[in-house]
Amino acid sequence: MSEGRKSYSESLEEVKKDVLEMASLTEKGICSSVEALENYDEELVQHIYNVEDESNKLNLEVEKECMRLVALQQPVAKDLRFIATMMKISDNFERICDLAEKIGKIAQKKGKKDPLKPLVDTNRMIDIICEMLEIVKEAIEQEDTSDLRGLSDLDDKVDDLFSQIYNELIVFMVKDPKDVDEATDLVFVARYLERSADLVAKIASRLVYMVEGERVQIK
Amino acid sequence: MEFETNSKDKERKKLEEIDPVVEAKNISVWYGEEKALENIGLKVPKNNVTAIIGPSGCGKSTFLRCINRMNDLIEGAKVEGKIVYKDKNLYDPDIDVASLRRKIGMVFQKPNPFPKSVYENIAYGPKIGGMNDKEELDEIVEESLKDAALWDEVKNRLHSPAMDLSGGQQQRLCIARALAVEPDVLLMDEPASALDPIAMSKIEDLIYDLKQDYTVIIVTHNMQQAARVSDYTAFLFMGKLIEHSPTEKLFENPDKKKTEDYITGRFG
Repeated sequence: MSEGRKSYSESLEEVKKDVLEMASLTEKGICSSVEALENYDEELVQHIYNVEDESNKLNLEVEKECMRLVALQQPVAKDLRFIATMMKISDNFERICDLAEKIGKIAQKKGKKDPLKPLVDTNRMIDIICEMLEIVKEAIEQEDTSDLRGLSDLDDKVDDLFSQIYNELIVFMVKDPKDVDEATDLVFVARYLERSADLVAKIASRLVYMVEGERVQIK
Repeated sequence: MEFETNSKDKERKKLEEIDPVVEAKNISVWYGEEKALENIGLKVPKNNVTAIIGPSGCGKSTFLRCINRMNDLIEGAKVEGKIVYKDKNLYDPDIDVASLRRKIGMVFQKPNPFPKSVYENIAYGPKIGGMNDKEELDEIVEESLKDAALWDEVKNRLHSPAMDLSGGQQQRLCIARALAVEPDVLLMDEPASALDPIAMSKIEDLIYDLKQDYTVIIVTHNMQQAARVSDYTAFLFMGKLIEHSPTEKLFENPDKKKTEDYITGRFG
């Protein structure tokens, strides 16, 4: 399908909308995952799986549309950086949804049983990740990088919480080998969350490149 | 908190670091009362391809013609400023314009072979320059045609009329003709715009190869072509040089908003 320059701009806006939708799905998926772990609910777990499925489809749509724009419009400068960034960050959002799905599977395995320990730090991790996601959503929407540098601090906090949870759960395993299986699952959950925060930080780095043209690493 | 900016050291040499083969200093051009170029300063790096882009009427071709003084042939054209080549200002009164145009050759938008044979088209320049030795001329013809990636296609019909060649072959013949007089710099004014995509792609490959031995300056309307073939790109707008950068930089992250607007097609 051919399009003029006006609808080209509209297509770029559509891509942005889709990627913002990806960001919202990601937020839903990752937040629901820990909630399902704490208060098991089969419907909630199904919701996480649906979100993951939807994110796969949307990610593919974003890729298709970006490839179409590259092929037909030969974007350069800011448009080129925008398209390359949208493809890349859409992939990152989708990977976070994959991690949410993995947490959902752990929740399903645990079922209605109480968790081995109260998930206080895990919830802290989720709160920070949601805060990070809000910041990147705003940055995508406004194409404004001013708050993105702050994500580095938030990512550090998530890393610290992961270490804390890991050490705590090792103590559980040492104390009672019967808990090894469940404690390992909770270490995995913390690891997935830590990885999610890394991916959000990567998204932030790409957004700085998109807006300012400079390649930076926020981690 | 960690916030690192990666170094850009591996990128193409910055323009301020290069030793130019040709340098325009404060070039202004008037056609009668109308000012076509205003204080253009531009360094052309040796053995590189420099593309000049910009909308119609921005002064691209005018600038190109300044470099080998083709504007001298246009009535009412007046040039101010300097074009420095081999430490000499090409606008000094003692410059021999004919030999300058051999050192800084030109290829035009439409192929313009002489109505002679393929061989004679190439041998013409060296003959004018005083060469008469048949063997030497044969060698020059063969080398020039090889350099212009045309030899294999015409070696069996060197004495057929040049006008019988296809458009793309005629254009490569014109390039070979310019190469036969051993230039340092080749100026190309839209050299592929009258050609089909296959002939265009051959010319683009040729431009890429030519920079091993020559410096190429190409004016083009086709921005993708500029991006494909050039190492450095200059953007002219309404007679002014807006931006001159390594090509990757200009097309990925231009410094000036005007450049961004032009290359993304959001002008006006």
